[in-house]
Amino acid sequence: MYKEERLNELVITIRELAFQNEEKEKRAAELVIANKELAFQNKEKEKRASELVIANGELTFQNEEKEKRAAELVIANKELAFQNEEKEKRAAELVIANKELTFQNEEKEKRAAELVIANKELAFQNEEKEKRAAELVIANRELTFQNEEKEKRAAELVIAKKELTFQNEEKEKRAAELLIAINELKEAEINIRKLNEELEQKVIERTVQLETVNNDLESFSYSVSHDLRAPIRAINGYAKILDEDYAGKLDADGIKALKSIALNSKKMGDLIDDLLAFSKLGRKQVTVSEIDMDALVKSVREESLYDDNAGKIEFTLDKLPLAKGDPSLIKQVWINLISNAIKYSKYKSKPAIGIGAYEKDKHIVYYIKDNGAGFDMRYYDKLFGVFQRLHSQEEFEGTGIGLAIVQKIVHRHNGIVWAESKPNEGTCFYFSLLAGQTGVSVLTPKTGHHGLQ
Amino acid sequence: MAYNDVEILFAEDSEDDAMLTIRALQKSGLTNKIYHVKDGAEALEFIYCTGAYALRDINDHPKLILLDLKMPKVSGMEVLAKIKEGHLKYIPVVILTSSKEDPDIKKCYSLGATSYIVKPVESDNFFKAIKDIGCYWIILNQPFKQ
Repeated sequence: MYKEERLNELVITIRELAFQNEEKEKRAAELVIANKELAFQNKEKEKRASELVIANGELTFQNEEKEKRAAELVIANKELAFQNEEKEKRAAELVIANKELTFQNEEKEKRAAELVIANKELAFQNEEKEKRAAELVIANRELTFQNEEKEKRAAELVIAKKELTFQNEEKEKRAAELLIAINELKEAEINIRKLNEELEQKVIERTVQLETVNNDLESFSYSVSHDLRAPIRAINGYAKILDEDYAGKLDADGIKALKSIALNSKKMGDLIDDLLAFSKLGRKQVTVSEIDMDALVKSVREESLYDDNAGKIEFTLDKLPLAKGDPSLIKQVWINLISNAIKYSKYKSKPAIGIGAYEKDKHIVYYIKDNGAGFDMRYYDKLFGVFQRLHSQEEFEGTGIGLAIVQKIVHRHNGIVWAESKPNEGTCFYFSLLAGQTGVSVLTPKTGHHGLQ
Repeated sequence: MAYNDVEILFAEDSEDDAMLTIRALQKSGLTNKIYHVKDGAEALEFIYCTGAYALRDINDHPKLILLDLKMPKVSGMEVLAKIKEGHLKYIPVVILTSSKEDPDIKKCYSLGATSYIVKPVESDNFFKAIKDIGCYWIILNQPFKQ
């Protein structure tokens, strides 16, 4: 196999070499034609070279000219370049200047806008100022008016001041007068004080004297009571013994005498008791309270009529107002007046006793009226005297102390007592007391009304 | 002795009052033994067995003392005070006085007086009062017995 392949390759290579020899002969024929062409072209080129040498001289000259021109252009170029740089610098500066201007313009616009606002503000303020000016004008007028008023007032004040000055002067005069008066008063006061002190001293002295007198009176009363009663009791007692143990030994006259001793000694005892009761009144403290006079008089009437011929007496009792007084003392007044009325009516066939009251000047006047024996008004001044009697003992019993006690009690109440009477027609007794009010007070004994009078 | 077994001691300076009082007590039927002394000093001697009464039995006390106030030497008030401050204060003491005016009614009661009697002037009333005193203090009232 391999030898076939080698034979193929040698065939191909001999064919190639035969083709390449043919090509080299063609090429040698073409090169003889190309040599003849080149010998012609050389002649042409020599013609052309001489022409070129001339053109070259020309060109050299032109080149020199061009080089001169180029050098000038270089210079001109440099100049231009410099000028360009300057222009660029200037342009850059202009840019900056432009920016500056733009900025300034913006600022100016802003400022303008602000100015617009400020303008509006100013306009508003102006309006306000105008308004305020208008108000000030009004206020000014007001002030002017007030000033005028003030001036008027000031004028008035000037007048008033003058008035005051005048009054002050008057007051000072008055004060001076008052000062004198005060000094006078002070002097008077001092005098009064002195007098008062003297008076007080006198009162103290007098009180001591009165107390001494009072003590003397009390011991006197005690002595009277004790020492006078003892012997009378003895007389009365022995008379009783005689009557009890020795009556059989006496005749009728003797017994009558004995009875007289008993009766008189008893009367003496009663007198002493009454006298002491009366003197006690002057020393007794009067304790004032409100008195239900209706109830008081009714109770006294019941007690007084108890042992008398009650059915026989026509007794009328009006409604009695309240009074101020010492109930126990006022009761004694009614006991004495009612028993008097009963006593002095005892001989009347139709005895009548009436009790009533009326008001007069904050006082109550109580009265008791009877239709009894009465008395002669000529002897009125003896009516309230101690142991004074207007009737005989035989006619009407009694010691004559009852009305004196009535008067003393009423006087101790700062009241008054009086009577109206006609013989055989009857008597009316009146006494006054302060009208009843609430509250309790104490009336102290009046000096100079102590004891026996 | 006369001053022993005394039931009522009676101090009174007035002979008349004493006689009338004793008579009234006897008349009222009281048989109790009464002894009369004439003043306060004698009353104290009797009660405390001193002086003229030194021989009296010290344990023999009266059941009732009737005391006048106004007496010579020692007053009834002083006798009362003396009795009421000592061991004999249980004995009832009746004050008999002539006067309504005695300023010391309150003082007598404060000192311990059992009763305070004003002797009436009028004999009937006087005898009645004495009789009542005797009846009440000796018969009705129950005294302390030793």
